[in-house]
Amino acid sequence: MSDEAFTTARLPGASAIHFRPVTMERKHVRVALILISLAFLGLFLIMPVVAVFVEAFRGGMPAFAEAIFEPDAAAAIRLTLLVAAISVPCNLVFGLAASWAIAKFDFKGKSLLNTLIDLPFSVSPVIAGLIYILMFGSQSLLGPWLKSEGIQVIFAVPGIVLATIFVTFPFVARELIPLMEEQGRGDEEAALSLGASGFQVFFRVTLPNVKWALLYGVLLCNARAMGEFGAVSVVSGHIRGLTNTMPLHVEILYNEYNFAAAFAVASLLALLALFTLVVKSVLEWRYADEIAATRRH
Amino acid sequence: MNAITPIDKGASVALGAPIDVTIENVQKAFGDTPALHGVSLDVKAGELVALLGPSGSGKTTLLRILAGLDAPTAGRVLFGGDDALGLSVQDRNVGFVFQHYALFRHMTVFQNIAFGLTVRPRGERPPKAEIRKRVLHLLDLVQLTGLDKRYPSQLSGGQRQRVALARALAIEPRVLLLDEPFGALDAQVRKDLRRWLREIHDQTGHTTFFVTHDQEEALELADRVVVMSKGRIEQVGTPDEIYDAPASPFVFEFIGESSFLPVTVVDGAVQLDGRPLDLSGLGAPSGTATLGFRPHDVSIVEDGSPAITGTIVTERRHGGARRLELEVGTDKHRVEIDMPVDHSRLAGNQIAFRPHRWRIFPR
Ligand SMILES: Nc1ncnc2c1ncn2[C@@H]1O[C@H](COP(=O)(O)OP(=O)(O)OP(=O)(O)O)[C@@H](O)[C@H]1O
Ligand SMILES: [Mg+2]
Repeated sequence: MSDEAFTTARLPGASAIHFRPVTMERKHVRVALILISLAFLGLFLIMPVVAVFVEAFRGGMPAFAEAIFEPDAAAAIRLTLLVAAISVPCNLVFGLAASWAIAKFDFKGKSLLNTLIDLPFSVSPVIAGLIYILMFGSQSLLGPWLKSEGIQVIFAVPGIVLATIFVTFPFVARELIPLMEEQGRGDEEAALSLGASGFQVFFRVTLPNVKWALLYGVLLCNARAMGEFGAVSVVSGHIRGLTNTMPLHVEILYNEYNFAAAFAVASLLALLALFTLVVKSVLEWRYADEIAATRRH
Repeated sequence: MNAITPIDKGASVALGAPIDVTIENVQKAFGDTPALHGVSLDVKAGELVALLGPSGSGKTTLLRILAGLDAPTAGRVLFGGDDALGLSVQDRNVGFVFQHYALFRHMTVFQNIAFGLTVRPRGERPPKAEIRKRVLHLLDLVQLTGLDKRYPSQLSGGQRQRVALARALAIEPRVLLLDEPFGALDAQVRKDLRRWLREIHDQTGHTTFFVTHDQEEALELADRVVVMSKGRIEQVGTPDEIYDAPASPFVFEFIGESSFLPVTVVDGAVQLDGRPLDLSGLGAPSGTATLGFRPHDVSIVEDGSPAITGTIVTERRHGGARRLELEVGTDKHRVEIDMPVDHSRLAGNQIAFRPHRWRIFPR
């Protein structure tokens, strides 16, 4: 857009008045700022992503397909989907419950809960993995009992799911809490006074009020659940075809100098990230009005 | 916003039969902070009662207790003679219009108004066509015909306010509770809505509680005014009683403009600094008292008869009169009086006056 288009106001009988909004920088400053941002993004985000795809398709389409449909890779993809399919709904429920409690009730320990939700953000994922080994590993208190019952948690799917849930549980709650706090309890009280049951209040008032934030939270949670490396790496045991998720599989292939296959699988993860971003943007664009309306009006 | 036109008298809303509401010694404390200290009030079916008081006086708290959104610490609330505190919010069947509207932002105006009907259990829920008819009718009543597909964010403040009222009316409430419904609106819109609300009330006949801190609004709108202060009821009465016979200096000061002077009542007559003022003590017992009068209820005294004499401190224009601020008596109490604009100025800055209407509050 040219500067003229929005900085010129014509008053009847007066000559054009040039007016630069006070918060708008001079042109060369603006250009410099934009260039710096673009260069930074290009260097650290776009180039690596492009590189992933270039490497993935270096051997052509058949090599790419072979790398992905090879049994171990297929097993890794299935496991990743399974882990996400379990941990995302768990975190959806937990996130909703926690943010509902924090935003709409007063109770003892509320600020503690609020702080604890952030724990996975501040703890190294490796530690998250180790926690579960300490809890469920063969050396742990529970270890002998689990063994006698024939339940394998560590170096098996349950451990991977637990670690993933731990790492991803803030995502939904963090999206919801600020929004719910901002919205307050007024809508719920209005619905109750109009005769709605608690169930109806939740599904017809509370949930619709946060549905977009909830969707964002789920998307982010899902992206992280599928991409998690550190915590899963500790508990997985790296058993090919059994306990390897996609990120772990990528690493193994890479360590075996099988670059083409590694990048092929990695490109799927990159695609997931792109897909998440695109869906988020489309939603933001498509439902901008409604999203704006769910904020306080 | 559209101008508000008089209501079509032919229109009518279905309503739950209005009921008496009795509040008996209701107390409420939030933790250690008391918000209501024993409030008692009898309201007749169909009455429009204004709860008037300064910020923090407990108006919202009382309303929320009536609605069942909060429970009192002690006391009873009766709806039509039956205990209401045992009933859940949903079962009380009260229409609540919130201070900040609380419209459902993801629903259209139509869905907002229909909400209370659509959440009813299957057996009691009116058929779709019936709901539609009722909602459209309510939209007519609140003069928002044609705006049914809008979202709340696409409405002006006054329009949102009216949607909130229509939503509350839709459930055929037994009692209607309005918490500062016009608080956020500009003066002109408030005036229009005020008149319009009175008409709606006359037409639907709900027992209505109306919270405001605007005394003009309360006096103009209500059958009876309840003046509250610091969690207590100061006075209950018709607008005339409240204005003409305020029961305490607080009510006197809160309703309209006022000036006060410490005086003594001796044998049924008022004295200031030991000199008689030729004002009746209005039946107050002998002893110290507070004399209250309105600035416009005074006459200037120029013939030397007993009067209150003061020194003019400031002088400014006030509507159709000249407002003088005086220092009176040995303690230099400040009072305000009005003087006709065309009154010839007196020599010096001394002026003598006598109220022709006044109140005496024993201390
Ligand atoms: N949830 C609460 N927790 C603690 N104190 C409260 C709560 N709600 C109200 N109070 C206190 O109770 C008193 C009465 O509040 P209330 O909201 O009833 O006042 P109000 O008359 O409606 O005032 P306003 O005109 O400002 O709306 C105030 O002192 C307030 O601080
Ligand atoms: Mg209030």
